[in-house]
Amino acid sequence: MRQLGELEAEIMNRLWSWGRPATARDVLTDINTRRPVAYSTVKTVADILYRKGMLRREKEGRAWLYEPTCTRQQYTAALMQEALGGNPDPAGALLSFVERISPGEADALREALRVAKRRGGAP
Amino acid sequence: MTRAAVLAGYALLMGTLAPYLLARASWPHRAPTAAITAWLGLAATFVVSGALALSHLLLAEPHVHDGLVGLLTACGLMTGDPVRAASPTPADLAAVLLPAAVVLLPALVLVRISWRTRRARRRQRDMLALVGSPAPRYGATVVEHEVPAVYCLPGRAPRVVVTSAALRVLSDEQLRAVLAHEHAHIAGRHHLVRAAVEAFARAFPGLPLARLAREQTALLLEMAADDRALRGHPREALAAAMYEVAAGQTPQAAMGAGGSGSLVRIRRVLDPYPKPGRATGLAVVLTSAAAPVLPLLIACGPGV
Repeated sequence: MRQLGELEAEIMNRLWSWGRPATARDVLTDINTRRPVAYSTVKTVADILYRKGMLRREKEGRAWLYEPTCTRQQYTAALMQEALGGNPDPAGALLSFVERISPGEADALREALRVAKRRGGAP
Repeated sequence: MTRAAVLAGYALLMGTLAPYLLARASWPHRAPTAAITAWLGLAATFVVSGALALSHLLLAEPHVHDGLVGLLTACGLMTGDPVRAASPTPADLAAVLLPAAVVLLPALVLVRISWRTRRARRRQRDMLALVGSPAPRYGATVVEHEVPAVYCLPGRAPRVVVTSAALRVLSDEQLRAVLAHEHAHIAGRHHLVRAAVEAFARAFPGLPLARLAREQTALLLEMAADDRALRGHPREALAAAMYEVAAGQTPQAAMGAGGSGSLVRIRRVLDPYPKPGRATGLAVVLTSAAAPVLPLLIACGPGV
């Protein structure tokens, strides 16, 4: 299962950086320059990504052309929105270092830091 | 009946008055770990005394208080009374089921919350696998993102996530202090406390203890992680890191009233005040452990 997850990342990363639709064969050729993977494996994982909604595909001749449904930036933004968007529903699913603060609070924090600095290094 | 009244009063006290006192006390911020224990102890006490009060209220007839068997029978742990066991009336059933519900409700909510958070974390990990790059030097996963943020996914296969913007705004020393804070959450299994308190809060909505426990333990867990990070990292580094990360997130200014604990935490990190002695911490922990047992003694102890 972990193996498939890695392959998913490898496929997505290639399609994202190429910025054009590609066949499973194209992806396979590129991955095979680094390590051997079977065509059927790449094809299977590409179909998983298609079913997950990560890729769209259309037929060209006898092969499917795959293309990401969103850019890497959009996907990252969605991840961060989910992580930090303040949706408290999955309670404690993750623990954030600091909460979002208001500009007023940011000023107060800066002031606290400044005062501490002026007082000279605390132990 | 007197026992029922005493137990109900105890539950009421723990559910309403005690949490306000604990939330207002000054020692919890100096000893966050002990304070977390105290909140968990309060919640446990409320559940135990509430369940026992209900069972005593519904078991109108006085029951036998002879030795261990009597004690267990009274607590509903043993149906050793053959006369009554032969023909349980609806009232008897209610006397067992209602108190059981007080205990089972938070337990079931906890199961549900655990399941959902585990699923949410797995989803996060899957997404991270696609866009995150591991940084073994820091024991973290780096994500290209223009907002500085650091967080951890606790539980099985834990991850610490750092955005590229956070790497830019933090010095190496600050970053290491932040990472120590996140690793403290993971090592301390803080997510389990969060889940337990959340389950309690959802099982008893409207109860002051529920609301305050949720609010206070969230802050206390952060303080506990801060303290842990301060063991190996300078105060200024952690405080400055808090400011840098928090300030970088402010553009979402549409947030309502502040009320976040960041300011409390940063002042606390910068102003080292003496920690209460070991004896105080021990006393808090012992009290927290004893408080839930006390109602059992009231309910099941030898006849008054």
